[in-house]
Amino acid sequence: MSTDIARMRNIGISAHIDSGKTTLTERVLFYCKKIHKIHEVKGKDGVGATMDSMDLERERGITITSATTNVEWADHSINIIDTPGHVDFTIEVERSLRVLDSAILVLCSVGGVQSQTITVDRQLRRYNVPFIAFINKLDRVGANPFKVREQIADKLGHNAVLMQVPIGLESAFRGLVDLVTMKALYFDGPEGEDVRVEEIPAELAAEAAEKREEMLDAVSMHSDVLMEAILEGRPTEGLVRAAVRRGVVARKLVPVFVGSAYRNKGIQPLLDAVVHYLPNPSEVENRAIDLDQDGAERVLTDDTSAKTVALAFKLEDGAYGQLTYIRIYQGSLRKGDELVNTRSGQRIKVGRLVRMHADTMAEIQEAGSGDIVALFGVECASGDTFCSPGLNLAMTATYVPEPVISLAIEPVDKNAADRMAKALHRFTKEDPTFRTHVDPESNQTIIQGMGELHLDIYIERMKREYRAEVKTGMPQVAYREAISQKVDFDYTHKKQTGGSGQYARIIGRLEPLAKGAYEFSNEVKGGHIPREFIPSCEKGFKAVMKKGQLIGFPVIGVRVVLTDGQDHPVDSSDIAFQMAAQGAFRQVYAMAKPQILEPVMKVSVEGPTEFAGSVFATISQRRGTIVSSVEDGTFSRVDAEVPLSEMFGYSMVLRSLTQGKAEFTMEFLKYGRVPPYIAELLTEQRLEKKKKESQK
Amino acid sequence: MTLTVKEELIKRSPLRILEKSISGGLGKGNIGVLASRKGVGKTACLVHIAADKLLQDKPIIHVSYASRVDHIITWYEDIFKEIAKKPKMKSALDTFDELIRKRVIMNFKQDGARTEQVLRSLEAMIVHANFRAETVIVDGLDFTQAGPEDLRKFKDFAGRLGLEVWFSASLKKDDPLFDGQGIPFELKDYLGVVDVIISLQHHGDHVHFSLVKDHDRLTPKDLRLKLDPTTLLIAKDVRARVR
Repeated sequence: MSTDIARMRNIGISAHIDSGKTTLTERVLFYCKKIHKIHEVKGKDGVGATMDSMDLERERGITITSATTNVEWADHSINIIDTPGHVDFTIEVERSLRVLDSAILVLCSVGGVQSQTITVDRQLRRYNVPFIAFINKLDRVGANPFKVREQIADKLGHNAVLMQVPIGLESAFRGLVDLVTMKALYFDGPEGEDVRVEEIPAELAAEAAEKREEMLDAVSMHSDVLMEAILEGRPTEGLVRAAVRRGVVARKLVPVFVGSAYRNKGIQPLLDAVVHYLPNPSEVENRAIDLDQDGAERVLTDDTSAKTVALAFKLEDGAYGQLTYIRIYQGSLRKGDELVNTRSGQRIKVGRLVRMHADTMAEIQEAGSGDIVALFGVECASGDTFCSPGLNLAMTATYVPEPVISLAIEPVDKNAADRMAKALHRFTKEDPTFRTHVDPESNQTIIQGMGELHLDIYIERMKREYRAEVKTGMPQVAYREAISQKVDFDYTHKKQTGGSGQYARIIGRLEPLAKGAYEFSNEVKGGHIPREFIPSCEKGFKAVMKKGQLIGFPVIGVRVVLTDGQDHPVDSSDIAFQMAAQGAFRQVYAMAKPQILEPVMKVSVEGPTEFAGSVFATISQRRGTIVSSVEDGTFSRVDAEVPLSEMFGYSMVLRSLTQGKAEFTMEFLKYGRVPPYIAELLTEQRLEKKKKESQK
Repeated sequence: MTLTVKEELIKRSPLRILEKSISGGLGKGNIGVLASRKGVGKTACLVHIAADKLLQDKPIIHVSYASRVDHIITWYEDIFKEIAKKPKMKSALDTFDELIRKRVIMNFKQDGARTEQVLRSLEAMIVHANFRAETVIVDGLDFTQAGPEDLRKFKDFAGRLGLEVWFSASLKKDDPLFDGQGIPFELKDYLGVVDVIISLQHHGDHVHFSLVKDHDRLTPKDLRLKLDPTTLLIAKDVRARVR
């Protein structure tokens, strides 16, 4: 195994759902001799693609968790993370992107740039991940890689350059012309494993020459040496490759490759491209937060002899016990090493160290910086950083969105209850966007997540992997309350019932806060509230805001300004000021004109133009706002903002309305005000629920 | 409070001058065209007209051929930002979110979009999705590709649904662009279906507006409006007439 960092690649394969990335990964594993037989995603052989290691994924034909795997190609070690495509699981995608150095963006040659492609592109941008593009499914009816390249340029704004031209399209797709070597490539053998290199077919010569011109034009922008060589009429392969690589690493150029994973065409050249054009770990700058230096950023070095810094980015509960996927950013990892989990302060000893294939693994003795490996028997949560003793760093916190939907679940019997608890414990560790708690009022177990499908999958997994059967309630959206008006308060908390009394008086105001959940400002002068009790006041406000008085959801968008107050030399205490804060808030909350907010989702619906009208109607029925509709010939896309509470069951409605020809994606956009008639309904429901509970 | 500021802003808008000049406005069932060379400022004017309607809480549909949706959104943001810079209109941006809820952008790729299909989608938006717009602005329709019969279809549609529709027309032929009456040669065939034509022309360092067709009248008239080169808003032209 190569340990030279220059010969290492950490790549992700990102795409819109159904662009065929799992099929593509399967071919990659096959050509790199990691598997001996190709299985299709929805395989007739009942085995399923190798990367989808969970039964459920096999059944649904989608990839949920990203299994990582290591392959070798042209004397390079490539770690691949197969990322999930559904938007509900973007935390997985985002976590993968944090760990990877580069990516392959897979696009469908018919669908082109789709809503999810745009989401993924935005994520690649956020984490500054260089990538190359692969236009898949050239064998499909309507395939048009040239149009897709244009879309990458127009819709995503990338400098996209075709590096290959196809020989034939749709059912006549036979091979491709490499514009760097100017040779035709064909893929022979039952699984396309033999690459045959030939001269370019005469009828394609002119087109190939023209596309090569275009490619050289774009690429030479990244190399003066190449530009000169072109002017002198002798651009060499090496010069072209070096220039492309420079453009890719700087995220200024997106070379585009074409093929059909399903037909076993174009995969080996894509692997060559990974080796030629994507950066090795040392070419990517990584930063960590120094916990001893007040969160100052530190640039990490890829020196393998430096102190170790590694990030646990994924946990998996598999047939072999708990597995922790870890990316090494600095130093190296050896069996027997001692490391510190900088979040918990816990010390661990590196036991078994393995390199992962999708379902199998190879034990190794050590791994160096830049590598991705897995550890056994380590107790931690995903996102934890491990360092050599003496270092106290945290890899930049991965952005974790707040859950927007919740569901009450109830085990069917005592056995199921135990297993459910176990499953929940595991899931919350694996996925920070999946949360669970027991509602103190109803005593029900509540699970929270990023969407209906997100929670559905976990309910299914509980059943399958943990044999925990549960009943579910109606999904409930995560409402918020917010004040809309400034209001003053002057509140005295007094209690004198024998023993030591309680006394605290606070004066100030609540103000609506446009952005952010909460702010606290202390403007008390002259020590009217002793300094040690200011945090008590803040604590009190925070506590009372956890549950608004309208419908019992957290209150956000409040700025508390404390201006004055009074204490008592004997009776004032921490608890007295906390109680005063809570009392003050409750007393004036109604006067601040509180409103109910609901999560509003950004929804994209894509499908044939003939259904656009029906889609408009479904959006408007759901209190949605259509932002835009784009019609491009027979294909159309509608972007809208729709309250989450109206989106339950939308996939079924859409499916039956369009005979399954349209699909939609959604993600959280913002909190928006609930219209008055719904606010009334919610308040009534809340009252009824309370009444029922008090009767119990 | 903001309402009165808004009202004042509406009242003082230079678009009131435009309306006054064209017999109180374009009118339901009518077609208006802003004509000029490429890059003179038609899109800015259309967006200003749309923004003015939005300020009055009137829903609009922005139809665009081939322009990217995010570019169009940026246009609106910029125009609203400029409007908000006017004295006392600080709160305009706070209401921006509310205002744009009354705007729908519909984007069509020129080659694929036939007028019938465009109108079908528009009707779906207005009728099926119950988006009761009264003004539609259409930017980027290629008048050299579409013919008077396409405009006729738009006009019939506008009449049926009670819409006023503003188009931009890019003049592409060689000089001279206009005849003796100021009517663009390229729009001569359209005079029968178009109710209002306004031409935009560079005049020294500013762009000025002339009304070349006003419903039944075909007498050219200087509108005393200009396009402010820095804000790209339509503004009063206070200078003496230069013609």
